[in-house]
Amino acid sequence: MIDATAGPAPAPRRPGTAEIAVGGIILLGWLVMALGADWIAPYDPNAIDLRGILGAPSPAHPFGTDQLGRDVLSRVLHGARIDIWMGLVGVLAPLAIGIAVGLVSGYFGGAVDMAMMRLVDITVAFPFFILVIAIVGVLGPGLMNYFIALALVAWVAYARLIRAEVLVLKRAEFVDAARTLGFPHRVILFRHVLPNALGPILIYAWTDALLVILAGASLGFLGLGAQPPTAEWGVMIADGQPYVIQAWWICFFPGLAAVTLGLGLILVSDGLARRHQVDQ
Amino acid sequence: MKPLVEIDSLAVDFTTPDGVVNAVRGVGFKVEPGEILGIVGESGSGKSVSCRALLGLLPRHARVGGRIVYDGRELSTLTPAELAAVRGRQVSMIFQNPSSHLDPLMTIGEQVAEPMKFHFGLDRRAARRRALELLEVVRIQDAGTRMNAYPHELSGGMKQRVLIACALACEPRLLLADEPTTALDVTVQAGILRLLRTLNRERGLSMILVSHDLGVVAEVCDRVVVMRGGEVVEQGTVTDVVRQPRNAYTRELIDSQPGRLEMSSGRHARPAPLLEVKGLRVRFARRGGTVAFGGDKTQGIDALADVSLDVHAGETFGIVGESGSGKSTLARAVLGLVDTSAGSIRYDGRALAGLDKSERARFRRDVQMVFQSPYDSLNPRMRVLDAIAEPIWRHRLADPGEAGERAAELMDMVELSPALARRKPRQLSGGQCQRVAIARALALSPRLLIADEVTSALDVTIQAQVLRLLARLKEMRDLTIIYISHDLAVVRRFCNRVAVLKQGRLMEVGYTRTVFESPSSEYTRELIASAPDLDALRGGAVPA
Repeated sequence: MIDATAGPAPAPRRPGTAEIAVGGIILLGWLVMALGADWIAPYDPNAIDLRGILGAPSPAHPFGTDQLGRDVLSRVLHGARIDIWMGLVGVLAPLAIGIAVGLVSGYFGGAVDMAMMRLVDITVAFPFFILVIAIVGVLGPGLMNYFIALALVAWVAYARLIRAEVLVLKRAEFVDAARTLGFPHRVILFRHVLPNALGPILIYAWTDALLVILAGASLGFLGLGAQPPTAEWGVMIADGQPYVIQAWWICFFPGLAAVTLGLGLILVSDGLARRHQVDQ
Repeated sequence: MKPLVEIDSLAVDFTTPDGVVNAVRGVGFKVEPGEILGIVGESGSGKSVSCRALLGLLPRHARVGGRIVYDGRELSTLTPAELAAVRGRQVSMIFQNPSSHLDPLMTIGEQVAEPMKFHFGLDRRAARRRALELLEVVRIQDAGTRMNAYPHELSGGMKQRVLIACALACEPRLLLADEPTTALDVTVQAGILRLLRTLNRERGLSMILVSHDLGVVAEVCDRVVVMRGGEVVEQGTVTDVVRQPRNAYTRELIDSQPGRLEMSSGRHARPAPLLEVKGLRVRFARRGGTVAFGGDKTQGIDALADVSLDVHAGETFGIVGESGSGKSTLARAVLGLVDTSAGSIRYDGRALAGLDKSERARFRRDVQMVFQSPYDSLNPRMRVLDAIAEPIWRHRLADPGEAGERAAELMDMVELSPALARRKPRQLSGGQCQRVAIARALALSPRLLIADEVTSALDVTIQAQVLRLLARLKEMRDLTIIYISHDLAVVRRFCNRVAVLKQGRLMEVGYTRTVFESPSSEYTRELIASAPDLDALRGGAVPA
């Protein structure tokens, strides 16, 4: 019984931990600021003060004030809510659709797969952002319609990723083993295939969250996303654009917020990717 | 005579994030001019590392200590240019996987000619002529036309021959062969080993043959070095080491050779057929073409053609064949993992095609399979105990809690320490994973167990343990076993009856003894003759 007791012990340190930790702290910080915006923000984000418009950063207004005298700091903090919410829903909705389609398509193959993949081909034939703008244009501006447009367009990336993983996994011996053990398809799909297919998709999802936030901010900038006076970073940058020469802070601070949030997301995604690589 | 290579107290350390690993310690051996030295050992024994140290092929983070003397000159005292001359011209190496050492975009003629242009400054035409000669030396048939072939057009054995031709191009004095036949079928392996012996005899080429297979070493080598855990445990002439091993590990290695295993193939089978396969045909759609549209089955290739055989209750039935023989396809067809095109499979008197839902569930419990790759056959995300318990509660044979207890009993039965219960497959050794897979297969108390190459990824001493375990479980649980293998020696020891497959066709089937002692087909005869056998020592002659 030589080989029954010996064996490699669990690895003590896993790669990517530093990235995940730093990224996680940044994201956690933003989450706290977003959730606690009501208490942290020094002013009401929509309180107009026409006597203090375009005020430079000062002790009273650390990030300055905008063209309507609203406190930029308070608006950035409240904007975080909208933008994080956007990243969350904007990823989860397409993710759910993509997983369902990718699993079924990859595992069962055949005519279902053919139909699904042609639908994917048609969708990716259009530039992503143009298609989102077109759909929002038809449905009308607003956050809800942005989410609908995303769900209709962004699922294809997830469906393709999942399908590719499933195609490999369904040939794995442990899936054959599950079949010979008489497990139903549902169990094989959700217990044995899906958990092993999720790795690359979750890594992608973190990066995708950034894209969704930036796309949402861009829509806000174009006036198709969140509507004024809602404090949303894209809307704020759009509002500040005419004044960027006199009052750089109106655009700068929401931009900086988007960059740091994005950095956090990218770091976590990178860390997970490195960890996944080692696990393989 | 002065030895060609003398290695003395060689030590190789690897610096890893988890600290320094001593891969090799205090290793010393000599290669006399014109001899073939075998280095034998299991995975992690340091046999490849020792060999690569000689060629300077170790990764950069390796630290090499000790003395390596080649032809009277110590390698550490040489200038980089002299070192390159020794390593480039005097010593060549061939590897286990020839495909990864051949450039897929170059014809084989160019690949063999390339080093000669570089080292000897031959012009294109002369190098080509020389390459043709070399391809003939390594017995590539029709070498003139094959020269213009690309690697993917050749079989594995042919590629290995091309790699040998490349190695010979600079007329080396020493050839290092690292597991050169491990990836090859046994009949192909026999051809390559014959070629190596011929090269040694006719050109006086010295060789170091690294192998996990003592049988291969015994067939080819004059002397052998046995390694374990980075150290040399024994060395001497092959005859001495095999006949009178002095070291306990060497003895275990020899006793673990399938041909030497002490194993009864069990009680005599009851002649009632448990599984009847009649006229089975499995046809795969041809690759390329219209696979996207479901494939054209009329244009397909037959993985199995007209195979008929019976497996009796209580017996161990061996299925033997080389790669592409259809032996795994047969197992998968029985289990319903591939669709059959014609023929019938009956289990316990009932045709599988006509089973209703509850009979089908019964069949799924009764017939289980253990797969080839220890790591791939377990869900990497499930803990060992959960993997074994899952079939029990999913089939509602017990609630999850009780299933866990039964799984623990099964772990005990397959001799796995309870301490491993919470590990994931990645944290186990190959042998341990295979035991988990066996325990999981037994969880539903099957009557028929199909074992598909279950030991081919394992070291030979671990293989012996797993085989003994299977034999014990068969007696204990009254199992019928279908044992699929490319290894004739294992099948001979382990099975009551055996079927021989070749390219999807049944060559013969019969009692193991009859098949091995008086094979009725030419192919079976060739297969048996090709298998390396420790007891048919052909080496052992001291070099002249």
